[in-house]
Amino acid sequence: MKVDVQALGTFNELAHEGAEQATRSLAQMTGIDGNVDVTRISLVDRADLGEELGDEQFVGVRFEFEGALSGETVLVFAEGATDEIVDALGHHADEAMARSSVEEIGNIMMSGFIDGWADHLDATIDHTPPDYIEREGSAILPEAPTEGGHQQLFVFRSEIEWVGEPIDFFIYMLPEYDPMTELMADHADPGADAIPIEKLEVFNRMTREGTETAAENVEMMTGIETAAEVTQISFVPIEDVPKQVGNDTVVGTVVEFTGLPSGYLLVLFDEASAMTVAEALMPMEPKGEGLTERHESAIEELGNIMTSGFVDGWANVLQQSVDHTPPRLVHDMGGAIIDPLAAQLGQEQRHAFIIDSRMQTDEIDFECEIHALPNGEQLREALDQLVVDRADQTEADVEQHF
Amino acid sequence: MKVYDGSQAEGASDAPAERVKVGIAEWEVTTDGAVLTTSGLGSCIGVALYDTATGTSGLVHVMLPTAEGRENGNPAKFSDTGTELLLEEMGEAGADLGSVEAKIAGGSDMLDFSEGGSGIGVRNVEVVRETLAAHDVPIVAEDVGGDHGRSLRLEAETGDLVVKSANEGSATL
Repeated sequence: MKVDVQALGTFNELAHEGAEQATRSLAQMTGIDGNVDVTRISLVDRADLGEELGDEQFVGVRFEFEGALSGETVLVFAEGATDEIVDALGHHADEAMARSSVEEIGNIMMSGFIDGWADHLDATIDHTPPDYIEREGSAILPEAPTEGGHQQLFVFRSEIEWVGEPIDFFIYMLPEYDPMTELMADHADPGADAIPIEKLEVFNRMTREGTETAAENVEMMTGIETAAEVTQISFVPIEDVPKQVGNDTVVGTVVEFTGLPSGYLLVLFDEASAMTVAEALMPMEPKGEGLTERHESAIEELGNIMTSGFVDGWANVLQQSVDHTPPRLVHDMGGAIIDPLAAQLGQEQRHAFIIDSRMQTDEIDFECEIHALPNGEQLREALDQLVVDRADQTEADVEQHF
Repeated sequence: MKVYDGSQAEGASDAPAERVKVGIAEWEVTTDGAVLTTSGLGSCIGVALYDTATGTSGLVHVMLPTAEGRENGNPAKFSDTGTELLLEEMGEAGADLGSVEAKIAGGSDMLDFSEGGSGIGVRNVEVVRETLAAHDVPIVAEDVGGDHGRSLRLEAETGDLVVKSANEGSATL
């Protein structure tokens, strides 16, 4: 099964349009004004599904759907938002009303979402009545589809901002793998160069290996034991790339890597983590307040080591060298750091793959994100050259790491 | 994207101005003094327009210099078509284009890995300048270039553009 990049773009737009439709329905029926912030398609390891939801309490409305696409979809929001929703609908807040208000919103939005898909696919998609749930973290999401025994899953995720309220809605859609990939193959341009889906999965595993190596390097240098947490490859319109990073101030390094594929690699720490990890590298307590130059140079050194580890992981699998520029130290708003890099790629492509990894440790306050932005066409070529038994080799390597 | 005309805020004149986020490759126009914000400008540019006659204000967050040679893209993504689109929408919302002034910020040269030639930030600034000049819109204030990111807040009540950077505090244009 192959999927071309254009088909991924089409499906991203479909999901986005579905979320827009859901938001319009919401505004018409309730007067709640929403704005679809980001829609992304990710290929996620089944064990990592919904990790970004942390351990917060969520309320959700789930539906099963069947037809041109099959699977489950859920509207999710933070538990605390229920009161605002009840209020916006003009109801009195009691438990039964909270539940029926949420179901009402869920029904309105998700019918819009699924109808949006069906319209664009010119096909019928039926859905079940809503199922109201309250769960913690990733448990709010449906069980990952088990058909076909695939280790990696496609996840569509849209983030909708409630204008004027500090509340976000999320729509997750987990389609069954085989019908989804068949539909994508149907929408592929037969003349275009396509990526075999299995190889995208391999690329995810490569990234995991890269992150593991980077984490080992951190441990060797600082003695801080870290765990590589999430690795996913997402596909978004180029203008949505900066939204994947957010706008908090971060510290880290950026390199351009060359070879096949070329692109950019960012190692970013939030300011508190940067302080912690930099001080672990210093022989004595630094003088001065906040993040000093000595902190920054420690981060630069660490970024370099992590980048090498990450890139080596890729090079091993691709069996060719991947070079990179010396790291540039960055200390700025996250979005502003990645924006020029996305723009660079945006000169030639409308969508981008972004690879996100995170490592963290329970011991101390430490979290680090690694983002890679490969050139899309070159990523396709690199995957094309990857022979499958080498991919198996990667799998074996990953097992050894665990 | 929509035009905020105050229809939802009737009788609420004492309430704080509505804040409206403008994402990358998005625009907003307001006629009721809302606060338009956009964040994380690196090489991107925020073009803020203010009609001194009617108070109509608009903000667009553009990413790439020119739409030339591209098919069916989003016009708000590019410096040339994005600036033109915002002018057009300001006119639709009742602005008198003869009294519109521009303030621009962004176009930083940070993380420019390109070898030779101008970086995207520099070219974005050039194209925005050219486009505004072609429509006789004066740039009355600017904070462009450098090697840091910016976030913007356009206070449509006054036309003030507040530029914030991560390390260098904020300034009002």
